[in-house]
Amino acid sequence: MPPDTTQALTASRYPGSPASLRRPSAPRWRNWAVAVGTQGLRAGGLILFLAVLGGFAIAAPAFLTPANLGLILAQSAVLGILSLGLTLVLITGGSDVVGGGIDLSLAGTLGLSAATFANLNQAGYGDGACVAAALAIGVTVGLMNAVAVVRLRILPLLATLAVMNICEGLELVVTENTTVAAASPLLDGLGQTGPFGVPVLGYVLLAVTLALGLASRRTTLGLRAYAVGGHPEAARAAGIVPERYVAASYVLSGGLGGLGGIVSVAFLNSATGGSADMLLPVVATAFLGFIFSRRLVPTVTGTLLAAVFLGSLSNGFQLLRLSTYWVNGIEGALILAVVGATAGLSKGRRA
Amino acid sequence: MTSPSGTPALAMTGLVKSFGPTRALDGAGLTVASGTIHGLVGQNGAGKSTLIKVLAGLVTPEAGMVAFDGRILPNLRSGDAEALGIAFIHQDRLLVPTATVGEALFLGREAAGSGFGLWRGTLQERADAALDRFFGLTLPRGVLIRDLSTAQQQIVQITRALLTDPKLVVFDEPTAALARREVESLFAAIERLKARGIAILYISHYLAEIERICDSVTVMRNGRDVAHLDAKATTTSAITRLMVDRDVTELFPRHRNRPGGPLLMVTGLAVPPQVQDVSFTLRRGEVLGLTGLLGSGTKEVAKALFGLAPARAGTVSVAEQPVVIRSPADAVRRGLALVPEDRRAQGVALDLGLRENLTLASLGRVSRRGWLDRNAERTTAERLVADLQIKAGGLEVPVRTLSGGNQQKVALGKWLARDAGVYILDEPTVGVDVAAKAEIYRLVAALADQGVGILLLSSDLDELLGVCDRVLVMYRGRVASDHRAADTSAASLLDATLTGSRPRETASHAA
Amino acid sequence: MSSVSIDRQARLPRGTDLLRFGVPAALAAVLLVFAIAAPGFLTLNNVAGVLVNNVALTAIVALAMTLAVAAGGTDLSVGTAVDLGSLAFVSAIAAGHPVWIAALLGVLAGVGTGVFNAILIARLGITPFLATLGTLFIGHSLQQLTTDGGNPVYVSAASIPPALAFIGHGSVLGVPFVLWLLAGLAFGTWLVLARTRFGREVLAIGVEPQVALYSGLPVGRILTLVYGASAALAAVAGILLSAHVNAYVPYSGNAYLLDSIGAAFIGTSLSRTRRANVPGTLLGVALFGFVQNGLLLVGWNFYWQQVGTGILIFGALLLAFAGRGSAARGRPGAH
Repeated sequence: MPPDTTQALTASRYPGSPASLRRPSAPRWRNWAVAVGTQGLRAGGLILFLAVLGGFAIAAPAFLTPANLGLILAQSAVLGILSLGLTLVLITGGSDVVGGGIDLSLAGTLGLSAATFANLNQAGYGDGACVAAALAIGVTVGLMNAVAVVRLRILPLLATLAVMNICEGLELVVTENTTVAAASPLLDGLGQTGPFGVPVLGYVLLAVTLALGLASRRTTLGLRAYAVGGHPEAARAAGIVPERYVAASYVLSGGLGGLGGIVSVAFLNSATGGSADMLLPVVATAFLGFIFSRRLVPTVTGTLLAAVFLGSLSNGFQLLRLSTYWVNGIEGALILAVVGATAGLSKGRRA
Repeated sequence: MTSPSGTPALAMTGLVKSFGPTRALDGAGLTVASGTIHGLVGQNGAGKSTLIKVLAGLVTPEAGMVAFDGRILPNLRSGDAEALGIAFIHQDRLLVPTATVGEALFLGREAAGSGFGLWRGTLQERADAALDRFFGLTLPRGVLIRDLSTAQQQIVQITRALLTDPKLVVFDEPTAALARREVESLFAAIERLKARGIAILYISHYLAEIERICDSVTVMRNGRDVAHLDAKATTTSAITRLMVDRDVTELFPRHRNRPGGPLLMVTGLAVPPQVQDVSFTLRRGEVLGLTGLLGSGTKEVAKALFGLAPARAGTVSVAEQPVVIRSPADAVRRGLALVPEDRRAQGVALDLGLRENLTLASLGRVSRRGWLDRNAERTTAERLVADLQIKAGGLEVPVRTLSGGNQQKVALGKWLARDAGVYILDEPTVGVDVAAKAEIYRLVAALADQGVGILLLSSDLDELLGVCDRVLVMYRGRVASDHRAADTSAASLLDATLTGSRPRETASHAA
Repeated sequence: MSSVSIDRQARLPRGTDLLRFGVPAALAAVLLVFAIAAPGFLTLNNVAGVLVNNVALTAIVALAMTLAVAAGGTDLSVGTAVDLGSLAFVSAIAAGHPVWIAALLGVLAGVGTGVFNAILIARLGITPFLATLGTLFIGHSLQQLTTDGGNPVYVSAASIPPALAFIGHGSVLGVPFVLWLLAGLAFGTWLVLARTRFGREVLAIGVEPQVALYSGLPVGRILTLVYGASAALAAVAGILLSAHVNAYVPYSGNAYLLDSIGAAFIGTSLSRTRRANVPGTLLGVALFGFVQNGLLLVGWNFYWQQVGTGILIFGALLLAFAGRGSAARGRPGAH
């Protein structure tokens, strides 16, 4: 466990080092409070997460069965994969939602990719062609976003909004607003249950998380991507070209949107309309993930935890036969609690 | 590979560069020898920044030559400098706030074979070793950049530059964001570099700093290098004359009147934990200095007076009326005005026009029943631009396009528009060139002559002595001493600042 | 002095000034193209139809968005205010209250969401985007809970009060009531933003909130008014919507969200200083409306219309943002 920020204050323990590098005593108190607050928020997030799981486990014994947990994972797969895409964009774009990075086109990409997959499947194409097409669509959408944001310098919020409209329109064109059923060996395989009673889709989510988690934590690419989002000028001064990282994050995000489409077809055995409804939950999940990180930044694991957390909420409510009408409201309140606490902390830090 | 001390590491000659009709460089040059610290001074717009940008490869000169380490460099490109062994330390700390020290230090050059297998622990160990080697400093493991003090961040920034094993380090206004005591530790660090035989180019507005650490100095004016001096054998006033091409003996105009009755009375002000028990009285027509080390509480006093920090205890009265100030809006209603230190973030709205900035604090005066009166607004703005001699391309240009000095005049001017009674000026001349500085001092004197009270927060002792009637020195959250400017010296102010001692001469004036 | 930077800035606006005509030019081009391609397009009947059916409600919601954008934020919960306004209005009418009381309740319901947003944004310091996102979710839950999972509330055809019919379908001097109302609201919003002290204060907060605070502006109060007014405007759109269809249909407000954001931001291109403004927003909404209608008239089906609009918005953004990047890069440095 890395030491917390409080120790920053007892900076120099070497007698020979300049005295002024020790912080003056006054701000120490507040920094301590902020540090405790930051860790408290993070711990609070985890405790809340565990408390909710625990509560459900006691109230509904079926909740904690491996089969149900696996189901939660599978149910969270589409949301999780899309949120991971958004997480990448937030990492390189910084978390200032209006000026920084955001990808609102993810839900539209999901819909278009799912529709394409299902339609090609209906038309008799094999899995390889369907997968390639779905992923290609995602990457193309990502490229459009990247060009719009990086080259044309359109505000990401607006650029991806426009692209989302285009995707949704094309989805309607492809499906003519009907549900398109799909069946194939691949879809069958994805619909299976894997080891430990966890559905294959759950493993897909975990695999994507693992790959992105390693890339963001254990490679220089990841380190630099965070630098680009945290302080683009510093990154530039270090010889990094921020535009490349930002562009790459949009392309990857598009690709994940494409993958999300395939997973969604596998989950529903069809492509259905209404993918736009995914947009706001995706945004909520990615931002909720902040609390699971020590630095209060977007992280791959944080996003996974947030997605699973929200998945368990719906699942638990269903098991307890509570009205799921509450779920949205609880999600909203959670987002507000998290960002409210974060805002309070950063205020303390600035002061 | 180090050249013997004394031989020029860097030589720039005859550089010319125009931006549109303006000649930013008009035959400028300088030389820096290894193992020496070379100062570069000049007013804003004299061409210092352009010269440095040429060196960094960010600007391509139209004529002239750059030679470094015995080689002529015909066309420098961005990024070449680092490869050649030139490092730049800017006033903005270019560090990722959410990164650890290790990540920030090695960003962009993490490992020889980058790719998978980056271990943050390894970065951390290398960072610890580097900080220890260059500065004998240990920072806690895993600490994030945003949790370090400004000086610590500056040290990390310098260490980052040193990792490239540079032969020349360029410091561009490195002390702008540092408190006085932090400056000392920076100077110690620079001396260490000099002792290692590194050539240092040091750019600063603070002539005292140049005098203090530089061996030689180049003065620039209007795009040319007008003088190369031995820093130890010259005086700051000689340098100032060269910079402005005219004598600035009248830098600190005295206001003539004697302070009148009490205007702002502060009793027992406490802002835990930084300010314990502060009392003072600011009189009409008085310029009252407030100074102290970083963390001594001066900033918090100003913030509390302006409603930006909650006061736990104490009373404030304005013109003998007790007031409660909970927000800047309250403070402004009571006739207080604040010119904040962070001018670009808090003082002026960079993307609003000049007119909109100047009337921002007095919208009530340029509107009738809630409707803006455009004529009144324009008249007000025009009057202020004329009074303050603000140089701008028109009333509608964004304030971003103004020079630092003119921006500061705007930050002050918006309060003149509402005839504020008490001005709190927080480091009003930081990052402002000599000419604009003199104009700001003139304005302060003129305001005092009109019977306005001015509380001047500053860490520039000459400024305090030159402008103020009285100076309060804060130490650990309390007013430690009260000096009559005419009877004190920079040395005794500095002593009071550092030790909180209470010189005998001041005892009788305590508020 | 910094003559360098002044010169450079002085040259910039000339190029960007041309771009200010991008959106009007796009609208003119759209009108021209469809006038030629679709004979029925420029008839009075069709134009009136577009204004009533495609423009009016979106425009009112976009006015609400314009307020939030002018104050430096975004209001994702405009749809929630539309829905809650509609829900309160229809429920009150269904319960037998007079239309004016129902309308008042509708607006108040909207103001409620606005005040909730304001508390989050002004008091708790939450970014408007995330604060209003939270409100949106909570509003969704609220609608599910009050309508048992999303059942519409109808005003039975037999008992539609005449006033309701008038709001939904009436005309004054041959011009539909909704257009009068839109004109009034747009003019009012424009006056407030462009000609009043309050408008200037909103603008200052939108551009540089910290400077506004340090200049003594009552930032919290101003933001409360902005988000309250924004939600009230959106609720008016909700009332008009339910009067038009004689029902409250859950979650229908979100349909206006993206168009209103798009219109408000595209509208900023009309301003030399890139600020949100009412004429720009209205032009943006009109652009969307006429393109949808024109595409329909030239025979594109509903699905392709959406693609077409998306591409068009993209193009308009391109116009609005072209030159902006270079303006940002051309900014003089710290000195």
